[in-house]
Amino acid sequence: MSVTSLLENYSEFRHFHPVDDVPHNPYKWAMSIDLDACSGCNACSVACYAENNLPVVGREGFAHGQAMHWMRIERYWDEDGREFPDQGAQFLPMMCQQCEAAPCETVCPVGATNHTPDGINSQIYNRCIGSRYCSANCPYKVRYFNWYDYPTTDNVWPAEMNQQLNPDVTVRGKGVMEKCTFCIQRVTVAKNNAKNEGRLIHDGDVQTACQQACPTSAISFGNLVDPESKVYKQWKAQQVELDKDAQIKDKEEGGSELRGYRIFEELRPYPSVMYLERVRESAV
Amino acid sequence: MNSGSIKQLKKPLAIRLGEQTVLAKSLVMAEHPFDRRDFLKVLGWGGAAVALSGCGNGSVEDGKETVVSYVETNDYMIPSISVYFNSTCTQCDAGCSITGRIREGRVLKLEGNPDSTINRGKTCGLGQAGVQHHYNPDRVREPLLRTGDSGEAITWEKAYALIAEKMKDVSGEEIAFLSGGVSGHLKVLLGNYLDSFRSKNHFVYEAIAPAVMRAANKKSYGVEMPRFNISKAKVVLSFGADFLGAWVSPVHFSQQYAQFRKGDEDGQRGVLVQIESKMTLTGANADRWLVVRPGTEGILALGIINALGAAGLRLSGDVAGAVKGYDKARVSKDTGVSAEQIDKIVALLKARTPSLVLAGSAAEGYAHGSQNAAAINLLNQVLGNVGKTVEAAEVVPFPQMAPTTGNTAALKKLNDGLAAGKYKVLFSYAANPVFTAPGAMKFKDNLAKAGFKVVFAHYLDETALQADLVLPLDSALEDWGTQVPEYLATCAQINIQQPLMEKLHANTDGKGTRGMGDILLTLLKQRRAEEYKGFADYYAYLRGALLKNKVALGGHKVDDDTFWNETLSKGIIKLEGHVSALSSRSGTAGLSLPSPAAIDAQYPLQLIPSVNASLRDGRHTNQPWLQESPDPLTTIVWDSWVEIHPRKAAELGIEEGDIVEVTGKNGSVKVQAYLFPGIHPDAISIPLGRGHEALGRYAKGYGVNPFQILDAVFDKETGELALHETRVKVSKTGSRVIVVKDEGPVGGRQMGKKIAARLPSDKVKLSEEI
Amino acid sequence: MNDIREDIAWAKINKDVLKSLENPRKLFWVILLIAIAAVGVAVGCEVYQYTVGLGVANFSNPHVWGLYIATFIFWIGMSHSGTLLSAILHLMHADWRKPIYRFAEAMTTFSLMTAGLFVAVHLGRVWQIYYALPYPNGRQVWPNFQSPLLWDAMAIFTYLSSSILFLYVGMIPDLAICRDNMNPGWRRKLYTVLALGWEGTDRQWRNFRVTYLTIACFLIPLAVSVHSIVASDFAMSQQPGWHITSFPPYFVAGALYSGCAAIITLFIILRYVFKFEEYMTLPILKKIVRLTFAIAMVWTYLNLIEYAAVWYGHDQASKDVLIQKMVGPYAPFWWTMNICGSVVPFIMFFKRFQTHIPVLFAVSLLLNLGMWLERWMIVAPTFSHGYYPWTWDHDQWPSLVQWGIVFGSFGWFTLLFMVFCKVFPSVSMYEVKEMVYHRSQATKKLEATGKLAASGKGAH
Repeated sequence: MSVTSLLENYSEFRHFHPVDDVPHNPYKWAMSIDLDACSGCNACSVACYAENNLPVVGREGFAHGQAMHWMRIERYWDEDGREFPDQGAQFLPMMCQQCEAAPCETVCPVGATNHTPDGINSQIYNRCIGSRYCSANCPYKVRYFNWYDYPTTDNVWPAEMNQQLNPDVTVRGKGVMEKCTFCIQRVTVAKNNAKNEGRLIHDGDVQTACQQACPTSAISFGNLVDPESKVYKQWKAQQVELDKDAQIKDKEEGGSELRGYRIFEELRPYPSVMYLERVRESAV
Repeated sequence: MNSGSIKQLKKPLAIRLGEQTVLAKSLVMAEHPFDRRDFLKVLGWGGAAVALSGCGNGSVEDGKETVVSYVETNDYMIPSISVYFNSTCTQCDAGCSITGRIREGRVLKLEGNPDSTINRGKTCGLGQAGVQHHYNPDRVREPLLRTGDSGEAITWEKAYALIAEKMKDVSGEEIAFLSGGVSGHLKVLLGNYLDSFRSKNHFVYEAIAPAVMRAANKKSYGVEMPRFNISKAKVVLSFGADFLGAWVSPVHFSQQYAQFRKGDEDGQRGVLVQIESKMTLTGANADRWLVVRPGTEGILALGIINALGAAGLRLSGDVAGAVKGYDKARVSKDTGVSAEQIDKIVALLKARTPSLVLAGSAAEGYAHGSQNAAAINLLNQVLGNVGKTVEAAEVVPFPQMAPTTGNTAALKKLNDGLAAGKYKVLFSYAANPVFTAPGAMKFKDNLAKAGFKVVFAHYLDETALQADLVLPLDSALEDWGTQVPEYLATCAQINIQQPLMEKLHANTDGKGTRGMGDILLTLLKQRRAEEYKGFADYYAYLRGALLKNKVALGGHKVDDDTFWNETLSKGIIKLEGHVSALSSRSGTAGLSLPSPAAIDAQYPLQLIPSVNASLRDGRHTNQPWLQESPDPLTTIVWDSWVEIHPRKAAELGIEEGDIVEVTGKNGSVKVQAYLFPGIHPDAISIPLGRGHEALGRYAKGYGVNPFQILDAVFDKETGELALHETRVKVSKTGSRVIVVKDEGPVGGRQMGKKIAARLPSDKVKLSEEI
Repeated sequence: MNDIREDIAWAKINKDVLKSLENPRKLFWVILLIAIAAVGVAVGCEVYQYTVGLGVANFSNPHVWGLYIATFIFWIGMSHSGTLLSAILHLMHADWRKPIYRFAEAMTTFSLMTAGLFVAVHLGRVWQIYYALPYPNGRQVWPNFQSPLLWDAMAIFTYLSSSILFLYVGMIPDLAICRDNMNPGWRRKLYTVLALGWEGTDRQWRNFRVTYLTIACFLIPLAVSVHSIVASDFAMSQQPGWHITSFPPYFVAGALYSGCAAIITLFIILRYVFKFEEYMTLPILKKIVRLTFAIAMVWTYLNLIEYAAVWYGHDQASKDVLIQKMVGPYAPFWWTMNICGSVVPFIMFFKRFQTHIPVLFAVSLLLNLGMWLERWMIVAPTFSHGYYPWTWDHDQWPSLVQWGIVFGSFGWFTLLFMVFCKVFPSVSMYEVKEMVYHRSQATKKLEATGKLAASGKGAH
């Protein structure tokens, strides 16, 4: 309670991006999303609604930009001015990038959003006072605010529909910020199970809801510290390093032939989600 | 609440277990007055040619004790611990196996069952929303009898008595049973019920079924539904087949697509070329999306064959004859696809084999749809894909169980019958023709001519509102069943559907919801009491049926209870099915494609009713997750829109958000405009599924229903409704709205930032990736 | 012309000022009624918003801040004028401030109180607002000391308490006068308590002077820091259009600017309503106007610096936001703001308008309109045109609830201010007496040495 203890522990008050002296151990959750596989079908987004008790805000709410889709699928067109999009569209699943040096974390006046030792950017609903500064400072704009008290709003979870709510996930009341949690409730269960068995989580023990649903298996999720995990191997193979704001491979002449990249890396949030570029056939 | 629901659950379970013993006894009794052959027919195994042991039937998953049968759940119902049951998704007909997560007696989430060869643990958004079908607040909860304009809640007893009374003096000819696609034991019971009246009037209707393709495939390959091996193909040339969206078995195809892209076998990435008039989700993922004049897909296919021949591919004489005249210049003029583009496709098809050509609904929705499909299938044959990427599928060896697939020709037949006043009693199950029939058919008016209309319903949909008697159904997550999917992946399988929780609207006061199987069983008992008296309910019937054929279903080594529990535990019965070899006859006979129709001055635009992967024909529109799930291409939610090409829009002076009136020969709708580059300028597109006048709070009043303005034009060969044949004109109404969508005002532009990036394929080494 | 008549009798000063506590012109009641009505509107809106949720203000994801934050900064800015006039000019011995500093200080206090309300109005869960306080608790949960918003809360709280103290301490001798001259009643009791037994002894005067000076010295850095910290809310973030180094001085200049403009407005109103023509003279107004003009130029300079820094910087995103402000949907507001902030003040450049009351009244209101728009133009365009193009919005028009609360805040401020002026002497009696005395002494001295004529000509 004392100020002394606060000052003494201040260096640990917030965990910065993994500098060499405090690396994540034993877990650092990360993702990689293969945009060449992603078909933009939206299954991940609906699965997220189902898993994380996301309210449906209705037509009016959506019109006011109050949708709560933690996972949103963005659709981009080529910008070459051709009359028809003859190379198709580009889809991008966008959710909280779980930045290592998250811009949202430093600005929260009450410390409601923090970094867990697992490298997840956590949101403590109980602590949130709703200043929305985090959202203001998020480069990706993936934070969603409860503009209304959705649990008591008509037709959000009317009788019977409320029975579907996942008891492992808090139903958020009005005035708090929320966002993708990397399905932390699933991670927690997997962690406890592993702990009971006296081991660490193996790759594949835990899947996020979006990953589990994804019909093209475009999403991989796992422990970036574990050399056996798919995510680790993918990051490694793509030469994307978590604590860099520019990857060495990108400095090669003519650009890299590897597909891995992180969005807004140069802003130095050190995002934990790596995307793999969509491939366009050059023969046609 | 939680402990309450557990208590609630325990009691019926005990009853269930009691019933089991009763059933076991009844099965032992050998005094059935009908012979074995009849008995097999009752149970659905009639006509079985062979009974083989299953393929890939393992033991109950070792160590996975959470996957257990529902009937043994008492021990597993621990508060805060989830248990998982396997069942089958019924949101569409693909037959994906699902695993429901149940906690404190409530089903919370559906995941894919990894053991299914169809979906391999994956689900689509539509499937995810299955729980919202189950928990939907707008479900019908009690049998309703029409009195004037309102419905009066009655007991089931009364409802059954009423049906019995109405059915007393009718002949088989005077009964009509309308249903969606059905398979498995439900189909057996339904068939047997109609059989008891000697009625053949089972109308199997699906508003958006690939019925033309089935017929064309039957002609070209000898089977209606071969296996399309996308993952093996190096090039997929798809004529409007939205296999990533809503076509046949999208979750299965999506997985294949992912493998196809990775080039799992040799690291060579597959190339997808999509040819269609309106971009589908699959088109959006194509390497090359080619816009084609609506209806000229067949011409393009023949043109490609011609060009292949010119490029040195050896064509048989009749094929060469059939494609003669389809030279590049003409084809290019007719279809709008440039000669240079045709050359590129030909080069690609020659360089990379095997390829796969798919004919989708967009190519088939015309009066000459069958011809289009035949021409496209011919391309597959010319390329030698039959047997390589178009393979024979295994078929479940029990014909009685096999799916009866729906089509729209059935609707036309029914409608004609109704118009003639032929039917005294009409049943409707899993179909909503008042909503989905083209306005030109005047189905609603004709329906009124039926004497007594019984609708089995989950919601009070448009058809249920016309009924004399509405019978409330259990949701798919409360009901028992077996299903045989039409499209089987690698192995023949029977899917098990079992309750994932107790009924929400339980049977109190003789009201409440009931399972379709139970209802049919009761109705059958009215007719053939002797044959069915041994089965207390549909559960008992199913159990009895499966145990009867235990050996053929792979349970020869285990006792009944173990077999039954294993079956429920797995949710799938894998079988070694029939494989009937494909006959690769090049179907050039009768192949004649009309030249593209001249533009109608009064109705210059072709209306393409598009199929959204989530909303399909509109039966699930009342599931709010689906309403709020943005359309992948336009990102619009909660409303309908009309897609217009920007060039056309500029001509007509239309901007995004303008409310325009789309007028055809059979009516008009007013809908917001969305400028969409992925559509032919002479076509517009309105998605199906919205525009309900009933169904529920999340569906009613949102958007417009393009079914209403469709012309009644039919495919000449199959009699299927030609969905894309409606011609319309578009006029501004002057009013304007802000389109509710996820996309921002800059649309799909990245503004020079690296957000969704891409690389040309010659720079990437996919084979070196993890 | 002199700043003040040098021959005003001290008794008359007392009488005139005390009269303001009794019978103001009718306009006072009109203003009061309008203010109460406006507060009523705001309270209604807030109750609605509190009950239903912030959605009724028509925010969106990610456009999460709107008029509340803009108006919050505006009111914080307003508060700077009081400190400027009281403390800075006090230290600089500019005695023309004396008749007007009291109401300027009151303005400081009340605009801070108004600004503070916006924090509460803005929060999603205002009932948990105490989480932002570093109170000791058993779980060792502290607020996040890294957050500029926390610095903000602390700075404002400190500033508010200090300026209340400053206002009160400076008022003590006047309260004693009120106590001694009022008829018995609740007011007299109030003054008796508040005057703390002031008798005007030498010792009291000495302590008073020291205290007043100390607080003044304390307040000046606070005032500068408060708005610098408010600027940090933006400058310390990572967003384009906010992440600008020159924001703190820019904000401070803007604050002083809007504060001075508000002083002109209130000067004109008070002068009329409370019949202070003798004290709030036109020469004093001229001095304020000139000061305002000077600050306007400083602000304009800093504003242009900001644009230049963005324009010549390498940050394309910031540049895009700036372009967006110039030509996008916010352009009308942005141009209005620049015209009001940088062009309109040139009216004050002309001598004949420097004492032209109707023109100045209009100008001062326009300046503050410009400054209010400035704050909105800082907050909103970054949200609608940030880093992530997919989430850009251009239709985020604040709802009537938001406008209602903003509108009501002006009523709330006016209400507090007007009630203060009615209850407490809004012109400092003792300092005006001092001023009159000093001025007359100086005149006498000059007359005595015969240098009056020389200095009058401005010989050196």
